[in-house]
Amino acid sequence: MDADLSREHEQLLEFLYACPVGLVEFDAMGAITMINPHAMKHLLPVAGMRDPGNLFAMLEGCAPELRNLLADYPKERGGICEGHRIAVDMAARRSGKDPKVLACTMIKLGPNRAMATFSDITVQVAQERRLKQSESWFGSLIAAVNDYAVLSISADGVIEGANAAFARQNGCAAGDVTGVPLDQIVSVTPGSGVMTVADQLRLAERDGWYLDESWQVRGTGERYWCQRLFAVRPELDDRSAPGFFVVLRDVTRDASDTSDLRRMLLFDHLTGAANRTHFLQLFEREQRRWRDARQPLSLILLDVDHFKSVNDAYGHPTGDVVLKQLTQLCSATLRPSDLFARLGGEEFAVLLPDTALMQAVAIADRLREAIEALVIPVAAGAVRITASFGCATATDACGTVDGLIELADVQLYAAKHGGRNRVHGQAHRSVEA
Amino acid sequence: MFHAFDEIDLGGLARMPLEDLDRLPFGVVGLDSEKLVVVYNATEAGMAGLARDSVIGLPFFDAVAQCMNNFMVAQRFEDEAELDEIVPYVLTLRMRPTRVRLRLLATPDAPLQYILIER
Repeated sequence: MDADLSREHEQLLEFLYACPVGLVEFDAMGAITMINPHAMKHLLPVAGMRDPGNLFAMLEGCAPELRNLLADYPKERGGICEGHRIAVDMAARRSGKDPKVLACTMIKLGPNRAMATFSDITVQVAQERRLKQSESWFGSLIAAVNDYAVLSISADGVIEGANAAFARQNGCAAGDVTGVPLDQIVSVTPGSGVMTVADQLRLAERDGWYLDESWQVRGTGERYWCQRLFAVRPELDDRSAPGFFVVLRDVTRDASDTSDLRRMLLFDHLTGAANRTHFLQLFEREQRRWRDARQPLSLILLDVDHFKSVNDAYGHPTGDVVLKQLTQLCSATLRPSDLFARLGGEEFAVLLPDTALMQAVAIADRLREAIEALVIPVAAGAVRITASFGCATATDACGTVDGLIELADVQLYAAKHGGRNRVHGQAHRSVEA
Repeated sequence: MFHAFDEIDLGGLARMPLEDLDRLPFGVVGLDSEKLVVVYNATEAGMAGLARDSVIGLPFFDAVAQCMNNFMVAQRFEDEAELDEIVPYVLTLRMRPTRVRLRLLATPDAPLQYILIER
């Protein structure tokens, strides 16, 4: 190599060493062919004991979906994701810093070649969040008073009356809805983390009020984002069971909030379980509710036993089938108000609002039995798995999200060391460490 | 005299002439209190594919070795005045993931902190 060329080569290396964005080139299995220092700076701390020569292995703990996004990409080449967010930390770090978030852009260059960039967007995400909080605060101040529709509901959830604003908002006359059960008017998307109208009324009855929001369809078929306050109606006389008022507010939201984007942002690409981001959002919401309303809040952490040996023996595609079936099974076993989420790799969590520890342990044991009984047919025969569970319940001592996760994690560790395929759970003493 | 990766000490490194540093079988990087590169031996230059002259004076953790700019390495030098530890690590020498052992060396009274890199 002549001197000019060698100097140019050096400059190119200097350029890549100093580049403030992470760059990685890898094959279809994730084996790294090229990686710059900025990428390694972010990846190595999350890799743990996993192979630092493989991108997907390093990210298995916090972004297992990247492997599937590449594998499922149908075209020979093209952009797979842009600015895809990876929640590295589960909650604010001990130092009080904001939880770390990386953005990943991935392109496929050929059948066995892909590239990805990584950059740290922690500050940006924290700013967005603060902005969103203040926006919704100001939004609620600005909303006009006459936008509130009010329904009067009997104790058993049947509509007894509606005001004029309800007719305007929902495009049907008050007379048309009288005598109709509330759950026929208020639509609740079934699925993880969502309570039925009956559940919501039950919580309102116990606590005096309950707040919820979701898409709602008008009589005209048009949909709008609806915030609802369920409040207990003062009793008419001593003998009658208390009814409810439901206040509905039409909140204008961007129509580009399509369900596809929502799915990609909130749910794990492979299994359809809630992803880390969604889990954290709901966890924080439930924790606020727990602090305000003092309903018990429990958490189950679930880790598939010896999952690596399934991947090693049958390959990743079989491992993926196992995770999908496990998610289906758990989602079907859990109550609609429970949230089933994939935290990473073979680690899952169940968030159980309004659930005490004993109940959480019983639910975990039901999941454990169901998983143990699961037979997954594969080309080479059948795969059977077991899982270990750690359960914990929020107490005053664990005021933060990571406090409760830590408690459950200690129990999970105990379950693993106790021989796996078991449930451990313990209430945290209310002593601040 | 034989100088082993895990035996050589900070004083020995500071006293060693540059031509001897260059002959060591492992990389040697010496940083001042601003984390600017003061010492960069030939072994390290060869592994990284960089010329010594272009590296001297650069902010090491920003321009040369961002892969160490996290709590596992750079933060250690911030947090601990006295440091002598061997850390298994992965560098991206010439953009290839490369498993290495790092030895982190610092004492409060020495002017330079050292990172030794063994492939």
